[in-house]
Amino acid sequence: MQVLEVQHLHKTYRQSGQTIAAVRDVSLTIAAQEVLAFLGPNGAGKTTTIKMVAGLILPDRGSVNIAGRNPHRDPRAIGLLGAVLEGNRNLYWRLTPEENLEYFGVLRGLSRKTARQRGRELLDRFELTHKRAATVQALSRGMQAKLAIAVSLIHRPQLLLLDEPTLGLDVEATQTVKRLVREIASEGCAILLTTHQLDIAEELSDRVAIINQGAIVAEQPTQDLIRQFSGTAYTIEVEDILDDDRISKIQHLGGFGDCVDPKIIVDQK
Amino acid sequence: MNELKLFSAELRRGWIQFIRYPAEAISGIFIITALFYGLFLGAKYVAGPGLQLGDRLDAIIVSYVLWTLVTFILFNTTGTLQNEAQTGTLEQLFLTPFGAPRVFLTRAIADLFIQFVLISTILILISLLTGRYLSFPPALFLPLIAVIMGAYGISFALGSLALLLKRVQQLLGVVQFALLFLMTISTESLTGSLKILGFLLPMTTGAGLLRDLMARQQPLNFTLLGFALLNGLFYFGLGLLLFRWAERETKRRGRLSGY
Repeated sequence: MQVLEVQHLHKTYRQSGQTIAAVRDVSLTIAAQEVLAFLGPNGAGKTTTIKMVAGLILPDRGSVNIAGRNPHRDPRAIGLLGAVLEGNRNLYWRLTPEENLEYFGVLRGLSRKTARQRGRELLDRFELTHKRAATVQALSRGMQAKLAIAVSLIHRPQLLLLDEPTLGLDVEATQTVKRLVREIASEGCAILLTTHQLDIAEELSDRVAIINQGAIVAEQPTQDLIRQFSGTAYTIEVEDILDDDRISKIQHLGGFGDCVDPKIIVDQK
Repeated sequence: MNELKLFSAELRRGWIQFIRYPAEAISGIFIITALFYGLFLGAKYVAGPGLQLGDRLDAIIVSYVLWTLVTFILFNTTGTLQNEAQTGTLEQLFLTPFGAPRVFLTRAIADLFIQFVLISTILILISLLTGRYLSFPPALFLPLIAVIMGAYGISFALGSLALLLKRVQQLLGVVQFALLFLMTISTESLTGSLKILGFLLPMTTGAGLLRDLMARQQPLNFTLLGFALLNGLFYFGLGLLLFRWAERETKRRGRLSGY
């Protein structure tokens, strides 16, 4: 079952008299239990697309459907999605994790009782119960990131949007977030995440869509895409011609280079 | 039912933040009271020992406290937008099936309840310092509602500007003084075409009625109350319409979170 269907999204901005095409003809679908990584450099159009999906930016053309509802017209569609758009910043830092979960639960349409109950379950699951009464500003960055994801799940959305979910996190927190993303997807949630890190896309996603200058240039199952783009060997161009010592070290690592051409060829095998 | 649920959540959120960081509230009370007392002592010094303000002083107190209240309402929406954008929670407020205008209005009303605690404290302190005690007939709530509706209308209009233009601090400074004019202008003593203008200006008719009730102990004028309520409703509706339009326009420009 397709949870998200995006058809031919276009968005242009006018800036200082110039027209900038931020998103050009982007179409994608995500099914339940599927993770789609939106991979691209900064300014490629990832965040604009994800915000158009969330109903926070109005597209010039094209359509977004979340379980058959348009978030730009039907407020019920908003209740079907959860989003972490500003990393660990989408929380009230003066409130405790418990209070944040309860407040955002009610904001998403739950009763106070249900929000409290689910909040406790999420704190337990995300290993934050011992910090439930500490203010968010007193939590580590990793804990804040976990809590931000917990808050986005309080109303049990069908679609989860994660904008650069591991940005600025240390190795341990990154691992935790990766584990959580995989778990959440396996429980039935469709996940759209943006990243500019290839390793994150590779580890987390079932499919990757590469976006560049506002347009999707490739979209395939993650393993196929990695295979296609990596080939069997890659070439590194260096600034100066390599000396004998460096060439021998590269050869020792399985690469190839010579004293004439400023290139190193590395075979992946 | 849903509104009540949201209101209770907003009230709890606001109250927790209010009591968790009391220094902000206490300094606010001190500054507003000290400013009034400074002006009061200054006026006494200039006028000399023979100064007898009588119910005029009461009217000034009503206007000042009303100005404080309305200033709070007026900058609430803009303040919420700017604070939430800085902390990163703004877009989350738009990701709700309630719709952003309903969330902002509910939050503004919940914050007002908390603000009443501060305003009451300020009023008690001013009364103790000046030795003047105002009367609080129950009828005062009717013109107060008219003033508050007008204030929310202007608040949403300013919020719309903040959504569209982002940086509106300079404008807010000017608005604060325009507001002092609106709260203190004695429309009840105007005549002819100026009186009509008085009915059209936001909040002034309601403010005049409050002065009549609280400082001059006059009975409530229901005709004027009708005008005050119509005036409040008009500005309230206009503000909400502008906010809805500004929300859509900001989403079209893709500038919801960029401050």
